[in-house]
Amino acid sequence: MTLAFTLCLVTLFGLAAIGTPIAHSIIVGAIVYLAIKGQDLGIAAEQISYGLYDSFVLLAVPLFIVAANIMNAGAISERLLRFCVGVVGRFKGGLGHVNIVSSLIFSGMSGSAVADAAGIGKVIIGMMTQGNRYSRGYAAAITAASATIGPIIPPSIPMVLYALVSDTSIGYLFLGGIVPGLLMGAVLMAMNAYISHKRGFAADEVVPIREIPALTARAFPALLMPIILLYGIYGGATTPTEAAAVAAAYALVLAAFFYRSLSIRTLRDIMLDSVKSSASVGLVIGGALILNYIVASENIPTLLANQMVGMEISPMAFLLGVNLLLLLLGCILDATTIILVIIPLFVVSARALGIDLVHFGVVVVVNCMIGLITPPYGVLLFVINGTTGIPLIEIIREIVPFLIALLFALALLIFFPSLVLWMPMMFGYVG
Amino acid sequence: MRTRLDWWQARADDVAVALLTAMFVAFVVQITARYVINYPLPWTLELSLTTWLWTVFWGSALCLRNRDHIAFDMIYNHVRPGLRRVFGAISALAIIVAMLASLPATWDWVSFLTIKKSATLRIPLAYVFSLFLLFMVGTIVIYTLRLRKIWRNELEEPQREAAPKR
Repeated sequence: MTLAFTLCLVTLFGLAAIGTPIAHSIIVGAIVYLAIKGQDLGIAAEQISYGLYDSFVLLAVPLFIVAANIMNAGAISERLLRFCVGVVGRFKGGLGHVNIVSSLIFSGMSGSAVADAAGIGKVIIGMMTQGNRYSRGYAAAITAASATIGPIIPPSIPMVLYALVSDTSIGYLFLGGIVPGLLMGAVLMAMNAYISHKRGFAADEVVPIREIPALTARAFPALLMPIILLYGIYGGATTPTEAAAVAAAYALVLAAFFYRSLSIRTLRDIMLDSVKSSASVGLVIGGALILNYIVASENIPTLLANQMVGMEISPMAFLLGVNLLLLLLGCILDATTIILVIIPLFVVSARALGIDLVHFGVVVVVNCMIGLITPPYGVLLFVINGTTGIPLIEIIREIVPFLIALLFALALLIFFPSLVLWMPMMFGYVG
Repeated sequence: MRTRLDWWQARADDVAVALLTAMFVAFVVQITARYVINYPLPWTLELSLTTWLWTVFWGSALCLRNRDHIAFDMIYNHVRPGLRRVFGAISALAIIVAMLASLPATWDWVSFLTIKKSATLRIPLAYVFSLFLLFMVGTIVIYTLRLRKIWRNELEEPQREAAPKR
Protein backbone atom coordinates (compact mmCIF):
# COMPACT_ATOMS: atom_id res chain seq x y z
CA MET A 1 0.00 0.00 0.00
CA THR A 2 1.49 3.34 -1.03
CA LEU A 3 1.79 6.36 1.25
CA ALA A 4 -0.70 8.26 -0.90
CA PHE A 5 -3.30 5.55 -0.58
CA THR A 6 -2.74 5.18 3.17
CA LEU A 7 -3.26 8.92 3.67
CA CYS A 8 -6.30 8.83 1.41
CA LEU A 9 -7.86 6.16 3.63
CA VAL A 10 -6.86 7.93 6.84
CA THR A 11 -8.46 11.15 5.60
CA LEU A 12 -11.56 9.36 4.36
CA PHE A 13 -12.20 7.32 7.48
CA GLY A 14 -11.13 10.11 9.79
CA LEU A 15 -13.57 12.57 8.26
CA ALA A 16 -16.37 10.02 7.92
CA ALA A 17 -15.96 9.02 11.57
CA ILE A 18 -16.57 12.55 12.84
CA GLY A 19 -19.77 12.89 10.83
CA THR A 20 -18.64 14.43 7.53
CA PRO A 21 -21.01 13.28 4.75
CA ILE A 22 -19.65 10.05 3.24
CA ALA A 23 -19.53 11.45 -0.29
CA HIS A 24 -17.60 14.54 0.80
CA SER A 25 -15.19 12.43 2.87
CA ILE A 26 -14.44 10.31 -0.19
CA ILE A 27 -13.95 13.34 -2.43
CA VAL A 28 -11.57 14.97 0.07
CA GLY A 29 -9.68 11.67 0.49
CA ALA A 30 -9.42 11.34 -3.28
CA ILE A 31 -8.05 14.87 -3.65
CA VAL A 32 -5.45 14.12 -0.96
CA TYR A 33 -4.45 10.99 -2.89
CA LEU A 34 -4.17 12.82 -6.22
CA ALA A 35 -2.19 15.66 -4.65
CA ILE A 36 0.39 13.34 -3.06
CA LYS A 37 0.67 11.30 -6.24
CA GLY A 38 1.29 14.54 -8.12
CA GLN A 39 -1.61 13.78 -10.43
CA ASP A 40 -4.05 16.25 -11.94
CA LEU A 41 -6.57 17.26 -9.24
CA GLY A 42 -9.23 17.52 -11.93
CA ILE A 43 -9.30 13.73 -12.20
CA ALA A 44 -11.75 13.58 -9.29
CA ALA A 45 -14.26 15.73 -11.17
CA GLU A 46 -13.67 13.77 -14.36
CA GLN A 47 -14.27 10.35 -12.79
CA ILE A 48 -17.37 11.45 -10.92
CA SER A 49 -18.93 13.34 -13.82
CA TYR A 50 -18.24 10.82 -16.58
CA GLY A 51 -19.22 7.94 -14.32
CA LEU A 52 -22.63 9.39 -13.60
CA TYR A 53 -23.11 10.67 -17.15
CA ASP A 54 -22.15 7.47 -18.95
CA SER A 55 -24.32 5.01 -17.10
CA PHE A 56 -27.70 4.28 -18.57
CA VAL A 57 -28.23 1.72 -15.82
CA LEU A 58 -27.95 4.32 -13.07
CA LEU A 59 -30.97 6.21 -14.37
CA ALA A 60 -33.01 3.43 -12.78
CA VAL A 61 -32.08 4.78 -9.34
CA PRO A 62 -33.91 8.17 -9.53
CA LEU A 63 -36.73 6.58 -11.50
CA PHE A 64 -37.38 3.93 -8.85
CA ILE A 65 -37.20 6.61 -6.17
CA VAL A 66 -39.81 8.70 -7.99
CA ALA A 67 -42.02 5.64 -8.50
CA ALA A 68 -41.91 4.68 -4.83
CA ASN A 69 -42.65 8.22 -3.67
CA ILE A 70 -45.63 8.52 -5.99
CA MET A 71 -47.01 5.19 -4.82
CA ASN A 72 -46.76 6.23 -1.20
CA ALA A 73 -48.25 9.69 -1.67
CA GLY A 74 -50.91 8.57 -4.12
CA ALA A 75 -52.71 6.15 -1.79
CA ILE A 76 -51.62 3.23 -3.96
CA SER A 77 -49.78 1.60 -1.08
CA GLU A 78 -52.78 2.06 1.17
CA ARG A 79 -55.16 0.31 -1.22
CA LEU A 80 -52.80 -2.61 -1.44
CA LEU A 81 -52.74 -2.77 2.31
CA ARG A 82 -56.54 -2.87 2.62
CA PHE A 83 -56.57 -5.71 0.12
CA CYS A 84 -54.02 -7.65 2.17
CA VAL A 85 -55.98 -7.08 5.37
CA GLY A 86 -59.03 -8.62 3.68
CA VAL A 87 -57.17 -11.64 2.40
CA VAL A 88 -54.63 -12.64 5.06
CA GLY A 89 -55.99 -10.76 8.08
CA ARG A 90 -58.16 -13.72 9.07
CA PHE A 91 -55.41 -15.85 10.63
CA LYS A 92 -53.94 -15.70 14.12
CA GLY A 93 -51.36 -12.93 14.27
CA GLY A 94 -53.29 -11.70 11.25
CA LEU A 95 -52.08 -8.14 10.98
CA GLY A 96 -48.50 -9.34 11.40
CA HIS A 97 -49.01 -11.59 8.38
CA VAL A 98 -50.71 -8.74 6.52
CA ASN A 99 -47.65 -6.64 7.21
CA ILE A 100 -45.34 -9.22 5.66
CA VAL A 101 -47.56 -10.06 2.69
CA SER A 102 -48.09 -6.41 1.84
CA SER A 103 -44.32 -5.92 2.01
CA LEU A 104 -43.91 -8.83 -0.40
CA ILE A 105 -46.35 -7.32 -2.90
CA PHE A 106 -45.00 -3.80 -2.45
CA SER A 107 -41.47 -5.10 -2.96
CA GLY A 108 -42.54 -6.22 -6.41
CA MET A 109 -43.25 -2.58 -7.23
CA SER A 110 -40.61 -0.66 -5.35
CA GLY A 111 -36.90 -1.10 -5.03
CA SER A 112 -36.38 0.68 -1.74
CA ALA A 113 -36.72 -0.69 1.78
CA VAL A 114 -37.07 2.79 3.24
CA ALA A 115 -39.98 3.61 0.92
CA ASP A 116 -41.68 0.44 2.08
CA ALA A 117 -41.26 1.23 5.77
CA ALA A 118 -42.22 4.87 5.36
CA GLY A 119 -45.25 4.15 3.15
CA ILE A 120 -47.36 1.16 4.11
CA GLY A 121 -45.32 0.70 7.26
CA LYS A 122 -46.73 3.80 8.91
CA VAL A 123 -50.33 2.90 8.06
CA ILE A 124 -50.11 -0.69 9.23
CA ILE A 125 -48.38 0.20 12.48
CA GLY A 126 -51.38 2.43 13.17
CA MET A 127 -53.74 -0.47 12.47
CA MET A 128 -51.77 -2.94 14.59
CA THR A 129 -51.51 -0.72 17.64
CA GLN A 130 -55.20 0.24 17.66
CA GLY A 131 -56.99 -1.49 20.54
CA ASN A 132 -53.74 -2.74 22.09
CA ARG A 133 -53.70 -6.07 20.29
CA TYR A 134 -50.00 -5.77 19.58
CA SER A 135 -47.37 -3.81 21.47
CA ARG A 136 -46.15 -0.86 19.47
CA GLY A 137 -42.60 -2.17 19.61
CA TYR A 138 -43.78 -5.44 18.03
CA ALA A 139 -45.68 -3.62 15.29
CA ALA A 140 -42.67 -1.46 14.49
CA ALA A 141 -40.24 -4.39 14.61
CA ILE A 142 -42.19 -6.59 12.22
CA THR A 143 -42.62 -3.65 9.86
CA ALA A 144 -38.90 -2.95 9.82
CA ALA A 145 -38.07 -6.63 9.38
CA SER A 146 -40.48 -7.12 6.48
CA ALA A 147 -39.34 -3.91 4.78
CA THR A 148 -35.95 -5.55 4.23
CA ILE A 149 -37.63 -7.71 1.56
CA GLY A 150 -38.33 -4.63 -0.57
CA PRO A 151 -35.02 -4.52 -2.45
CA ILE A 152 -34.68 -8.31 -2.67
CA ILE A 153 -37.73 -9.01 -4.82
CA PRO A 154 -37.27 -7.03 -8.06
CA PRO A 155 -37.08 -4.18 -8.76
CA SER A 156 -34.22 -3.18 -6.49
CA ILE A 157 -32.07 -0.07 -6.15
CA PRO A 158 -29.27 -1.82 -4.19
CA MET A 159 -29.02 -4.49 -6.90
CA VAL A 160 -28.65 -1.79 -9.55
CA LEU A 161 -25.76 -0.41 -7.50
CA TYR A 162 -24.21 -3.87 -7.15
CA ALA A 163 -24.56 -4.43 -10.90
CA LEU A 164 -22.73 -1.16 -11.45
CA VAL A 165 -19.70 -2.07 -9.32
CA SER A 166 -19.52 -5.75 -10.31
CA ASP A 167 -20.46 -5.66 -13.97
CA THR A 168 -23.16 -8.29 -13.50
CA SER A 169 -26.44 -8.49 -15.43
CA ILE A 170 -29.22 -6.64 -13.63
CA GLY A 171 -31.83 -8.85 -15.26
CA TYR A 172 -30.33 -12.00 -13.74
CA LEU A 173 -29.71 -10.32 -10.39
CA PHE A 174 -33.36 -9.30 -10.23
CA LEU A 175 -34.47 -12.83 -11.07
CA GLY A 176 -32.06 -14.20 -8.48
CA GLY A 177 -33.81 -12.16 -5.80
CA ILE A 178 -37.29 -13.64 -6.25
CA VAL A 179 -36.86 -16.93 -4.35
CA PRO A 180 -34.73 -15.36 -1.57
CA GLY A 181 -37.37 -12.65 -1.11
CA LEU A 182 -40.14 -15.22 -0.78
CA LEU A 183 -37.94 -17.23 1.59
CA MET A 184 -37.44 -14.16 3.79
CA GLY A 185 -41.20 -13.60 3.80
CA ALA A 186 -41.75 -17.23 4.79
CA VAL A 187 -39.32 -17.23 7.72
CA LEU A 188 -40.76 -13.94 9.00
CA MET A 189 -44.32 -15.28 8.81
CA ALA A 190 -43.25 -18.44 10.62
CA MET A 191 -41.71 -16.33 13.38
CA ASN A 192 -44.80 -14.13 13.58
CA ALA A 193 -47.07 -17.19 13.82
CA TYR A 194 -44.89 -18.66 16.57
CA ILE A 195 -44.77 -15.46 18.62
CA SER A 196 -48.48 -14.75 18.16
CA HIS A 197 -49.25 -18.23 19.41
CA LYS A 198 -46.86 -18.09 22.34
CA ARG A 199 -47.97 -14.66 23.52
CA GLY A 200 -51.61 -15.33 22.70
CA PHE A 201 -52.25 -12.19 20.64
CA ALA A 202 -55.97 -11.58 20.26
CA ALA A 203 -57.43 -12.36 16.85
CA ASP A 204 -58.02 -9.37 14.59
CA GLU A 205 -61.37 -8.32 13.25
CA VAL A 206 -62.03 -10.33 10.15
CA VAL A 207 -63.12 -8.63 6.96
CA PRO A 208 -66.28 -10.42 5.70
CA ILE A 209 -65.63 -12.57 2.63
CA ARG A 210 -68.24 -10.68 0.61
CA GLU A 211 -66.18 -7.49 0.84
CA ILE A 212 -63.13 -9.08 -0.69
CA PRO A 213 -64.18 -8.70 -4.36
CA ALA A 214 -64.65 -4.95 -3.86
CA LEU A 215 -61.30 -4.63 -2.09
CA THR A 216 -59.65 -6.59 -4.88
CA ALA A 217 -61.25 -4.42 -7.54
CA ARG A 218 -59.98 -1.27 -5.84
CA ALA A 219 -56.47 -2.66 -5.49
CA PHE A 220 -56.44 -4.38 -8.87
CA PRO A 221 -54.74 -1.65 -10.93
CA ALA A 222 -52.02 -1.43 -8.29
CA LEU A 223 -51.66 -5.22 -8.22
CA LEU A 224 -50.99 -5.11 -11.95
CA MET A 225 -47.82 -3.14 -11.37
CA PRO A 226 -45.50 -6.05 -10.44
CA ILE A 227 -46.84 -8.01 -13.38
CA ILE A 228 -46.22 -5.15 -15.81
CA LEU A 229 -42.69 -4.72 -14.45
CA LEU A 230 -41.75 -8.38 -14.55
CA TYR A 231 -43.33 -8.94 -17.93
CA GLY A 232 -41.58 -5.86 -19.26
CA ILE A 233 -38.17 -7.03 -18.12
CA TYR A 234 -38.40 -10.76 -18.69
CA GLY A 235 -40.69 -10.77 -21.67
CA GLY A 236 -37.68 -9.04 -23.17
CA ALA A 237 -39.70 -5.93 -23.95
CA THR A 238 -37.85 -3.39 -21.82
CA THR A 239 -34.57 -2.98 -19.97
CA PRO A 240 -34.74 -2.68 -16.16
CA THR A 241 -34.13 1.07 -16.46
CA GLU A 242 -37.04 1.45 -18.83
CA ALA A 243 -39.17 -0.70 -16.54
CA ALA A 244 -38.36 1.75 -13.75
CA ALA A 245 -39.68 4.63 -15.84
CA VAL A 246 -42.78 2.65 -16.79
CA ALA A 247 -43.39 1.94 -13.10
CA ALA A 248 -43.11 5.62 -12.23
CA ALA A 249 -45.35 6.68 -15.13
CA TYR A 250 -47.93 4.01 -14.33
CA ALA A 251 -47.97 5.00 -10.66
CA LEU A 252 -48.43 8.62 -11.69
CA VAL A 253 -51.32 7.85 -14.02
CA LEU A 254 -52.97 5.63 -11.39
CA ALA A 255 -52.60 8.15 -8.60
CA ALA A 256 -53.57 11.19 -10.65
CA PHE A 257 -56.40 9.93 -12.84
CA PHE A 258 -57.63 6.64 -11.48
CA TYR A 259 -57.46 7.19 -7.73
CA ARG A 260 -57.52 11.00 -8.05
CA SER A 261 -55.29 11.47 -5.04
CA LEU A 262 -52.63 13.84 -6.36
CA SER A 263 -52.53 17.61 -6.65
CA ILE A 264 -49.89 19.73 -8.34
CA ARG A 265 -48.73 20.82 -4.88
CA THR A 266 -48.19 17.25 -3.65
CA LEU A 267 -46.56 16.39 -6.94
CA ARG A 268 -43.97 19.11 -6.38
CA ASP A 269 -43.36 17.81 -2.87
CA ILE A 270 -42.95 14.28 -4.22
CA MET A 271 -40.43 15.45 -6.81
CA LEU A 272 -38.50 17.53 -4.27
CA ASP A 273 -38.37 14.58 -1.93
CA SER A 274 -37.12 12.47 -4.82
CA VAL A 275 -34.51 15.10 -5.72
CA LYS A 276 -33.11 14.96 -2.20
CA SER A 277 -32.94 11.17 -2.15
CA SER A 278 -31.56 10.92 -5.70
CA ALA A 279 -28.96 13.62 -5.13
CA SER A 280 -27.70 12.19 -1.85
CA VAL A 281 -27.46 8.67 -3.29
CA GLY A 282 -26.09 10.02 -6.59
CA LEU A 283 -23.30 11.88 -4.83
CA VAL A 284 -22.25 8.79 -2.90
CA ILE A 285 -22.28 6.87 -6.20
CA GLY A 286 -20.04 9.58 -7.64
CA GLY A 287 -17.74 9.33 -4.62
CA ALA A 288 -17.62 5.56 -4.98
CA LEU A 289 -16.65 5.94 -8.64
CA ILE A 290 -13.58 8.03 -7.83
CA LEU A 291 -12.68 5.79 -4.89
CA ASN A 292 -13.00 2.69 -7.06
CA TYR A 293 -10.75 4.36 -9.62
CA ILE A 294 -8.11 4.86 -6.94
CA VAL A 295 -8.54 1.40 -5.46
CA ALA A 296 -8.21 -0.09 -8.96
CA SER A 297 -5.11 1.93 -9.83
CA GLU A 298 -3.58 0.71 -6.57
CA ASN A 299 -4.51 -2.79 -7.72
CA ILE A 300 -6.08 -3.57 -4.34
CA PRO A 301 -8.85 -5.97 -5.43
CA THR A 302 -6.40 -8.09 -7.46
CA LEU A 303 -3.84 -8.16 -4.64
CA LEU A 304 -6.60 -9.25 -2.29
CA ALA A 305 -7.73 -11.92 -4.74
CA ASN A 306 -4.19 -13.28 -5.14
CA GLN A 307 -3.87 -13.36 -1.36
CA MET A 308 -7.11 -15.32 -1.04
CA VAL A 309 -6.21 -17.77 -3.79
CA GLY A 310 -2.66 -18.11 -2.40
CA MET A 311 -4.00 -18.90 1.05
CA GLU A 312 -6.17 -21.59 -0.55
CA ILE A 313 -9.25 -20.31 1.22
CA SER A 314 -12.30 -22.33 0.32
CA PRO A 315 -15.06 -20.41 -1.44
CA MET A 316 -17.42 -21.21 1.44
CA ALA A 317 -15.00 -19.89 4.06
CA PHE A 318 -14.59 -16.73 1.97
CA LEU A 319 -18.36 -16.25 1.64
CA LEU A 320 -18.88 -16.77 5.35
CA GLY A 321 -16.04 -14.41 6.19
CA VAL A 322 -17.32 -11.67 3.90
CA ASN A 323 -20.84 -12.08 5.22
CA LEU A 324 -19.72 -11.87 8.82
CA LEU A 325 -17.75 -8.73 8.04
CA LEU A 326 -20.71 -7.17 6.22
CA LEU A 327 -23.06 -7.95 9.10
CA LEU A 328 -20.71 -6.17 11.47
CA LEU A 329 -20.34 -3.22 9.10
CA GLY A 330 -24.13 -3.21 8.68
CA CYS A 331 -24.43 -2.33 12.36
CA ILE A 332 -22.64 0.97 11.79
CA LEU A 333 -22.79 1.80 8.06
CA ASP A 334 -25.42 2.63 5.51
CA ALA A 335 -26.24 -0.07 2.91
CA THR A 336 -25.50 2.24 -0.03
CA THR A 337 -22.02 2.91 1.34
CA ILE A 338 -21.30 -0.77 1.94
CA ILE A 339 -22.41 -1.83 -1.53
CA LEU A 340 -20.57 0.94 -3.37
CA VAL A 341 -17.40 1.15 -1.31
CA ILE A 342 -16.76 -2.16 0.48
CA ILE A 343 -18.20 -4.78 -1.89
CA PRO A 344 -16.01 -3.82 -4.91
CA LEU A 345 -12.97 -4.89 -2.86
CA PHE A 346 -14.29 -8.46 -2.77
CA VAL A 347 -15.81 -8.92 -6.21
CA VAL A 348 -12.51 -9.86 -7.88
CA SER A 349 -11.70 -12.32 -5.09
CA ALA A 350 -15.13 -13.90 -5.32
CA ARG A 351 -14.70 -14.39 -9.05
CA ALA A 352 -11.18 -15.79 -8.60
CA LEU A 353 -12.45 -18.30 -6.06
CA GLY A 354 -15.11 -19.47 -8.49
CA ILE A 355 -18.10 -17.97 -6.69
CA ASP A 356 -20.96 -17.07 -9.00
CA LEU A 357 -21.31 -13.28 -9.03
CA VAL A 358 -25.10 -13.33 -9.23
CA HIS A 359 -25.19 -15.61 -6.16
CA PHE A 360 -22.63 -13.40 -4.44
CA GLY A 361 -24.59 -10.25 -5.34
CA VAL A 362 -27.94 -11.45 -4.07
CA VAL A 363 -26.37 -12.76 -0.85
CA VAL A 364 -24.53 -9.53 -0.10
CA VAL A 365 -27.60 -7.42 -0.87
CA VAL A 366 -29.71 -9.57 1.49
CA ASN A 367 -26.94 -9.16 4.06
CA CYS A 368 -26.91 -5.37 3.65
CA MET A 369 -30.69 -5.23 3.97
CA ILE A 370 -30.44 -7.11 7.27
CA GLY A 371 -27.92 -4.42 8.19
CA LEU A 372 -30.75 -1.89 7.85
CA ILE A 373 -32.37 -3.27 11.01
CA THR A 374 -29.29 -4.01 13.11
CA PRO A 375 -28.69 -1.47 15.86
CA PRO A 376 -27.09 0.86 16.64
CA TYR A 377 -27.16 2.18 13.07
CA GLY A 378 -30.23 0.80 11.32
CA VAL A 379 -31.83 3.13 8.81
CA LEU A 380 -35.19 1.33 8.93
CA LEU A 381 -35.32 1.64 12.71
CA PHE A 382 -34.69 5.39 12.39
CA VAL A 383 -37.32 5.81 9.67
CA ILE A 384 -40.01 4.08 11.69
CA ASN A 385 -38.95 5.93 14.80
CA GLY A 386 -39.12 9.16 12.78
CA THR A 387 -42.53 8.57 11.18
CA THR A 388 -44.35 7.02 14.15
CA GLY A 389 -42.49 8.28 17.21
CA ILE A 390 -42.20 4.78 18.68
CA PRO A 391 -39.05 4.80 20.86
CA LEU A 392 -36.02 3.08 19.33
CA ILE A 393 -35.41 0.99 22.40
CA GLU A 394 -38.87 -0.65 22.16
CA ILE A 395 -38.33 -1.46 18.49
CA ILE A 396 -34.87 -2.89 19.08
CA ARG A 397 -36.09 -5.11 21.92
CA GLU A 398 -38.75 -6.69 19.69
CA ILE A 399 -36.65 -7.01 16.56
CA VAL A 400 -34.32 -9.74 17.85
CA PRO A 401 -36.46 -12.80 16.91
CA PHE A 402 -37.06 -11.41 13.42
CA LEU A 403 -33.37 -10.73 13.04
CA ILE A 404 -32.66 -14.35 13.93
CA ALA A 405 -35.21 -15.52 11.35
CA LEU A 406 -33.63 -13.36 8.64
CA LEU A 407 -30.11 -14.55 9.54
CA PHE A 408 -31.38 -18.11 9.19
CA ALA A 409 -32.66 -17.26 5.69
CA LEU A 410 -29.30 -15.64 4.85
CA ALA A 411 -27.45 -18.79 5.97
CA LEU A 412 -29.68 -20.91 3.73
CA LEU A 413 -28.88 -18.63 0.78
CA ILE A 414 -25.15 -18.88 1.47
CA PHE A 415 -25.13 -22.67 1.76
CA PHE A 416 -27.55 -23.39 -1.08
CA PRO A 417 -26.64 -21.23 -4.10
CA SER A 418 -29.35 -22.93 -6.15
CA LEU A 419 -31.97 -21.04 -4.11
CA VAL A 420 -30.65 -17.91 -5.79
CA LEU A 421 -29.55 -19.31 -9.13
CA TRP A 422 -32.54 -21.49 -9.93
CA MET A 423 -34.70 -18.69 -11.34
CA PRO A 424 -31.96 -17.00 -13.41
CA MET A 425 -31.04 -20.39 -14.86
CA MET A 426 -34.63 -21.02 -15.88
CA PHE A 427 -34.27 -17.86 -17.95
CA GLY A 428 -31.04 -18.89 -19.59
CA TYR A 429 -28.34 -17.79 -17.13
CA VAL A 430 -25.33 -20.05 -17.52
CA GLY A 431 -23.18 -18.78 -14.63
CA MET B 1 -32.80 38.05 5.84
CA ARG B 2 -34.33 34.74 6.83
CA THR B 3 -37.33 35.11 4.52
CA ARG B 4 -35.22 36.27 1.60
CA LEU B 5 -32.97 33.23 2.04
CA ASP B 6 -36.03 30.98 2.18
CA TRP B 7 -37.27 32.50 -1.05
CA TRP B 8 -33.98 31.71 -2.80
CA GLN B 9 -34.02 28.23 -1.32
CA ALA B 10 -37.49 27.66 -2.74
CA ARG B 11 -36.30 28.82 -6.20
CA ALA B 12 -33.26 26.50 -6.01
CA ASP B 13 -35.66 23.70 -5.12
CA ASP B 14 -37.85 24.65 -8.10
CA VAL B 15 -34.91 24.28 -10.46
CA ALA B 16 -34.06 20.88 -8.99
CA VAL B 17 -37.67 19.74 -9.31
CA ALA B 18 -37.70 20.94 -12.93
CA LEU B 19 -34.49 19.04 -13.68
CA LEU B 20 -35.72 15.77 -12.22
CA THR B 21 -39.10 16.20 -13.92
CA ALA B 22 -37.36 16.84 -17.26
CA MET B 23 -35.30 13.71 -16.76
CA PHE B 24 -38.40 11.66 -16.05
CA VAL B 25 -40.43 13.13 -18.93
CA ALA B 26 -37.59 12.70 -21.44
CA PHE B 27 -37.29 9.09 -20.43
CA VAL B 28 -41.01 8.46 -20.77
CA VAL B 29 -40.98 10.17 -24.19
CA GLN B 30 -38.13 7.90 -25.19
CA ILE B 31 -40.00 4.75 -24.21
CA THR B 32 -43.20 5.93 -25.89
CA ALA B 33 -41.31 6.76 -29.07
CA ARG B 34 -39.52 3.47 -29.12
CA TYR B 35 -42.25 1.04 -28.15
CA VAL B 36 -45.53 2.74 -28.92
CA ILE B 37 -44.92 4.63 -32.15
CA ASN B 38 -41.87 2.59 -33.06
CA TYR B 39 -39.79 5.64 -33.90
CA PRO B 40 -36.78 5.82 -31.59
CA LEU B 41 -35.67 9.36 -30.86
CA PRO B 42 -31.95 10.01 -30.66
CA TRP B 43 -31.92 12.91 -28.21
CA THR B 44 -34.09 11.71 -25.32
CA LEU B 45 -31.48 9.46 -23.70
CA GLU B 46 -28.87 12.18 -23.70
CA LEU B 47 -31.34 14.63 -22.23
CA SER B 48 -32.18 12.16 -19.43
CA LEU B 49 -28.53 11.52 -18.64
CA THR B 50 -27.68 15.22 -18.65
CA THR B 51 -30.58 16.22 -16.42
CA TRP B 52 -29.81 13.32 -14.04
CA LEU B 53 -26.22 14.52 -13.74
CA TRP B 54 -27.44 18.06 -13.15
CA THR B 55 -30.00 16.91 -10.57
CA VAL B 56 -27.23 15.25 -8.56
CA PHE B 57 -24.86 18.23 -8.66
CA TRP B 58 -27.46 20.98 -8.31
CA GLY B 59 -29.37 19.08 -5.63
CA SER B 60 -26.24 18.18 -3.65
CA ALA B 61 -24.92 21.72 -3.69
CA LEU B 62 -28.07 23.73 -3.17
CA CYS B 63 -30.96 21.61 -1.90
CA LEU B 64 -29.42 19.21 0.60
CA ARG B 65 -28.76 20.33 4.16
CA ASN B 66 -25.80 18.82 5.92
CA ARG B 67 -28.04 16.29 7.68
CA ASP B 68 -29.71 15.20 4.40
CA HIS B 69 -26.45 13.67 3.20
CA ILE B 70 -25.66 10.04 3.83
CA ALA B 71 -23.34 10.18 6.80
CA PHE B 72 -22.06 8.17 9.73
CA ASP B 73 -23.31 10.37 12.56
CA MET B 74 -23.28 7.95 15.48
CA ILE B 75 -20.24 9.46 17.10
CA TYR B 76 -21.08 13.03 16.10
CA ASN B 77 -24.53 12.84 17.71
CA HIS B 78 -23.25 11.44 20.97
CA VAL B 79 -20.34 13.66 21.88
CA ARG B 80 -20.65 16.75 24.06
CA PRO B 81 -21.53 19.98 22.25
CA GLY B 82 -18.02 21.45 22.50
CA LEU B 83 -16.45 18.48 20.78
CA ARG B 84 -19.26 18.47 18.24
CA ARG B 85 -18.31 22.01 17.27
CA VAL B 86 -14.72 20.88 16.79
CA PHE B 87 -15.86 17.95 14.62
CA GLY B 88 -18.11 20.19 12.57
CA ALA B 89 -15.34 22.72 12.08
CA ILE B 90 -12.81 20.08 10.99
CA SER B 91 -15.33 18.62 8.49
CA ALA B 92 -16.18 22.00 7.03
CA LEU B 93 -12.54 23.11 6.82
CA ALA B 94 -11.41 19.88 5.16
CA ILE B 95 -14.18 20.15 2.57
CA ILE B 96 -13.48 23.83 1.85
CA VAL B 97 -9.71 23.37 1.54
CA ALA B 98 -9.95 20.28 -0.68
CA MET B 99 -12.55 21.87 -2.96
CA LEU B 100 -10.54 25.09 -3.25
CA ALA B 101 -7.37 23.12 -4.01
CA SER B 102 -8.93 21.19 -6.86
CA LEU B 103 -10.99 24.07 -8.24
CA PRO B 104 -8.31 25.40 -10.67
CA ALA B 105 -7.59 21.95 -12.14
CA THR B 106 -11.29 21.25 -12.43
CA TRP B 107 -11.81 24.59 -14.15
CA ASP B 108 -9.08 23.67 -16.66
CA TRP B 109 -10.64 20.30 -17.30
CA VAL B 110 -14.09 21.79 -17.87
CA SER B 111 -12.81 24.58 -20.14
CA PHE B 112 -10.81 22.05 -22.13
CA LEU B 113 -14.09 20.29 -22.88
CA THR B 114 -15.46 23.27 -24.83
CA ILE B 115 -13.92 21.63 -27.88
CA LYS B 116 -15.69 18.30 -27.30
CA LYS B 117 -19.35 17.97 -28.15
CA SER B 118 -21.95 15.59 -26.77
CA ALA B 119 -23.02 12.56 -28.83
CA THR B 120 -26.42 13.55 -30.19
CA LEU B 121 -27.36 17.05 -29.06
CA ARG B 122 -23.92 18.40 -29.99
CA ILE B 123 -23.73 20.55 -26.85
CA PRO B 124 -20.15 21.35 -25.81
CA LEU B 125 -19.37 18.96 -22.94
CA ALA B 126 -18.06 21.95 -21.00
CA TYR B 127 -21.68 23.04 -20.49
CA VAL B 128 -22.75 19.57 -19.43
CA PHE B 129 -19.99 19.22 -16.85
CA SER B 130 -19.89 22.86 -15.75
CA LEU B 131 -22.47 21.92 -13.11
CA PHE B 132 -19.67 20.17 -11.27
CA LEU B 133 -18.01 23.56 -10.87
CA LEU B 134 -21.26 24.90 -9.52
CA PHE B 135 -21.37 21.97 -7.13
CA MET B 136 -17.85 22.79 -5.92
CA VAL B 137 -18.45 26.51 -5.51
CA GLY B 138 -21.86 25.91 -3.90
CA THR B 139 -20.32 23.42 -1.49
CA ILE B 140 -17.53 25.84 -0.58
CA VAL B 141 -20.04 28.63 0.10
CA ILE B 142 -22.39 26.45 2.13
CA TYR B 143 -19.64 24.99 4.30
CA THR B 144 -18.13 28.44 4.80
CA LEU B 145 -21.51 29.63 6.10
CA ARG B 146 -21.66 26.53 8.26
CA LEU B 147 -18.20 27.26 9.60
CA ARG B 148 -19.32 30.77 10.52
CA LYS B 149 -22.32 29.37 12.34
CA ILE B 150 -20.09 26.94 14.24
CA TRP B 151 -17.74 29.80 15.11
CA ARG B 152 -20.59 31.85 16.51
CA ASN B 153 -21.99 28.79 18.23
CA GLU B 154 -25.31 29.07 16.40
CA LEU B 155 -25.41 25.51 15.12
CA GLU B 156 -28.68 23.76 15.81
CA GLU B 157 -28.60 20.60 17.92
CA PRO B 158 -28.50 17.42 15.86
CA GLN B 159 -31.80 15.69 15.45
CA ARG B 160 -32.52 12.33 14.04
CA GLU B 161 -34.98 13.10 11.27
CA ALA B 162 -36.60 10.55 9.02
CA ALA B 163 -33.82 9.55 6.65
CA PRO B 164 -34.31 10.46 3.01
CA LYS B 165 -36.01 7.71 1.03
CA ARG B 166 -33.50 5.56 -0.69
